[in-house]
Amino acid sequence: MTERIIDHPILGKMEDVNHVTFSFNNRVYKGLENESLAAALLANGIRTLRYQEESGSPRGIYCNIGHCYECRVTVNGQPGIRACITPLKEGMTVESSGQLKIKEKEV
Amino acid sequence: MKHINHRDVVVIGGGIIGAAIAYYGSKSGLEITVFEKNELGSGTSSKCDGDILAVDKDPGFNSQMALKSQKLVHELHTELDTPFEYRNYGSILVCENDMELEAAQKWVKQQQNAGLDFRMLDREDLRNESKYFADDLLGGLECQTDSMVNPYLFTYSLFEGAKRYGAHIHTHTEVVNLYKNQAKQFVIETNQGTFTANKVVNACGVWAPFIGKMLDIDIPIKPRKGQIIVASRQKPVGVRNVMEFGYLISKFGGERKVDPLIEKYGVALVMEPTESQNFLIGSSRQFNGYETKVDNEVMKCIAHRAVRFYPKIADMTVIRAYAGLRPWTADHLPIISQVEAIPGFYIAAGHEGDGISLAAITGKLIEEMINETNTSVPIEPLSLNRFHASLEHSFD
Amino acid sequence: MFKAIIIGSGPAGLTAAITCAENGLDVLVIDEYMSAGGRLLGQLYEQPDGSWWNGLRESKNLYTTAISLGVKFHFNTSVNNIEKRNNRWVVYTEKGTFYTENLLLATGAAESPVPVPGWTLPGVMSVGAAQVMTNVHRVKPGKRGVIIGVNVLSSVIAMELHLAGVEIACLTLPKMNSIANKEGNPSQVLDSLLHVSHMATSPLIRYGSKLLKNDFIKNLGIHFYPKKGFKMWNTPIQLRKAVIEIYGKDEVEGVVVAAIKANGEVVPGSEERIQADFVCIAGGLYPLVELAALAGCPFFLVEELGGHVPLHSEKMETPLEGLFVAGNITGIEGAKVAAAQGRTAGLAMAIHSGIKGLDTEIRHSMDMVKQTRESADIQFHPEIEVGRKRILREWEISQTSKQNHEALMG
Repeated sequence: MTERIIDHPILGKMEDVNHVTFSFNNRVYKGLENESLAAALLANGIRTLRYQEESGSPRGIYCNIGHCYECRVTVNGQPGIRACITPLKEGMTVESSGQLKIKEKEV
Repeated sequence: MKHINHRDVVVIGGGIIGAAIAYYGSKSGLEITVFEKNELGSGTSSKCDGDILAVDKDPGFNSQMALKSQKLVHELHTELDTPFEYRNYGSILVCENDMELEAAQKWVKQQQNAGLDFRMLDREDLRNESKYFADDLLGGLECQTDSMVNPYLFTYSLFEGAKRYGAHIHTHTEVVNLYKNQAKQFVIETNQGTFTANKVVNACGVWAPFIGKMLDIDIPIKPRKGQIIVASRQKPVGVRNVMEFGYLISKFGGERKVDPLIEKYGVALVMEPTESQNFLIGSSRQFNGYETKVDNEVMKCIAHRAVRFYPKIADMTVIRAYAGLRPWTADHLPIISQVEAIPGFYIAAGHEGDGISLAAITGKLIEEMINETNTSVPIEPLSLNRFHASLEHSFD
Repeated sequence: MFKAIIIGSGPAGLTAAITCAENGLDVLVIDEYMSAGGRLLGQLYEQPDGSWWNGLRESKNLYTTAISLGVKFHFNTSVNNIEKRNNRWVVYTEKGTFYTENLLLATGAAESPVPVPGWTLPGVMSVGAAQVMTNVHRVKPGKRGVIIGVNVLSSVIAMELHLAGVEIACLTLPKMNSIANKEGNPSQVLDSLLHVSHMATSPLIRYGSKLLKNDFIKNLGIHFYPKKGFKMWNTPIQLRKAVIEIYGKDEVEGVVVAAIKANGEVVPGSEERIQADFVCIAGGLYPLVELAALAGCPFFLVEELGGHVPLHSEKMETPLEGLFVAGNITGIEGAKVAAAQGRTAGLAMAIHSGIKGLDTEIRHSMDMVKQTRESADIQFHPEIEVGRKRILREWEISQTSKQNHEALMG
């Protein structure tokens, strides 16, 4: 399990921020306004953000700063959004993309 | 005196053509040495798509040669140790107006008569192919034998195979001078020392004319720039290579019913799904010297063209874009040829957009020419003389 | 049209923005991230004098100063392309196209991936990702982690994770392969670790780092280090073991480590499992240079600077008029050096846009870059000076040939 670091020996207490509600794959979660979507999901114990298009293997965040594109999800219907650099807003609808069912051509 | 290394056959150029020559040459028992000025496949062979097509070849000699090459690639798929993402699903051309549909029907008939596996597709077929096609597309055609590879891996795979047969590959070795000595050997001066060789093959693609110049040979190849967008697949759009019929018209220089910017940049849709689940979306055709900068305006045109055929593709993510140089010749056929004036000097270049498609047959032909055996296809239409003859003719 | 556009709001970009604004230029800063600071955001370590370097606070201070000087920011904005048209730099972004005569690329660095079997499992992340989660978002990357790759960055971040109450089962090496080569060789790893020795609380590594400056002793060190490894900030470091696989069904459940010989080979039969719910991969940093390449900048591969870097002068100019670089795009160094470079770049941009009387200031600023480098807390490459000299020599060569060319063309 993952958890928030409320009290930090050097950085001190976390600042007060608004709590917001969002959904991920049709389930409702709570997060902090303007934190990254990836952080909000991880704080809720969610590591798997999508499934690789071809193999269907699960994928999560990798670089966490927008370079690697591993964390792409669909946000409010828009696909290909990087969860690690997208600020969380009230009422966001987030979905993970799944394996593409591709009819294999006969070889 | 400097120590001189002697080699039997030297291939200049470490792209897909050099790779195929090195493979078939060393497999036949020839002692092959390759000089590449940068990294293997760092020129056009990594700035292209990976289609192995017969669908866009002139019916007759050209399409027969393409078919031979496809058969060789199919064999290489099992022959080579390193997989190169080979997929032989066939490919399709789509038509956006009646004029194109009519031309397509003619094209299919000609190809069928030449013995190739072509057939027409109607609207229903297109719908079954992909639900992401634009609704107004009238139909198209299909070529069953077409396949796709990862061009970069294909190049490496061939070089790996060549090494297994004993070929020597020298990267970062740039040929700076080339001439024949009194013993009638080639002297090849490189930035890594001087070599001699009995035979030299110029497989330098768009850079072949520079090597030709060293021997006072005029090689009429010009760089024709093309751009490609790499997009991330988010929906199951399709597994086969798709092109618009206008691609053929653009390639052969005909007139299309498209807006001026599309015409200016020679933009026609090619949509190639890669094995790693992305799309290559091309392409453009421009004569603009040797520069390879990605032009924003051209990219926009290519994207617009893709959206015209696949409206929903507008939502997909672009990963990157790149530009490469096709080695263009005036008659759209490669030069796969001995040079009469200089015995032992061969040219294998000028494939325009067909380097990946025709690499295998090119490698095979050069091997056959060097070994002086019967060639897999007639080589007269590919000879360098065809240009010089017509040049002389025009002076008459 | 802006007098100056800066891509990247890390320490270099922010400092350059402040410097430009102080000299009267209107400035736009573009960053893909949600807030200002770049890699500075996550940094947290104890300095030799005992005070803490708090990157979050430093970032906030720089940002507030920039805002008070009227600097404009576009966050969450990715740059797709840059090109020069009609003597202006055109910056294409997701949110519109911008124009300027002074463009600074301060895009920073990216982490090199080290592919290890199982590395696509959710729970595997770059070590920088764990740092940002922990120190910026204040979310623990997991309960117990393994860090693969022992280098300056991963050692510091291991300490930061420890500080936040996250257990690190161990720091260890990836099994050597052609890609993971450098990060997998024990003697090279020790070499790089000498440069964080002042932060070591373990007497062993402190003692070790003094001894190890001699190559002969260093080789002995490799052979005589205890098989169980040693501890730095209470985190076990394993230089004799390497991760050969990350395992887990749908998410990370642990890693398989095996003993490796000093030359990096696996000792057969020595495999053991370490449980963990997250794994960090630390392949080291390399300059993020794509935009400079798009612009057509010449490049040089300088190992000491972390990879390919665009040709640039001590004033942070590139050979392309109106294009400047600062920070890790010019070579991997700490945030303080990046900021000092940012100030120099800001002054160079002000001078380029016609502001007079800054000559003394920019000379002073260039000296500051050197001083900051010499007194840096964290050095990413032991031979950074050599790398810097190399690129300056290349700059001089290019300037001389340009002058010769101009003289020739009369």
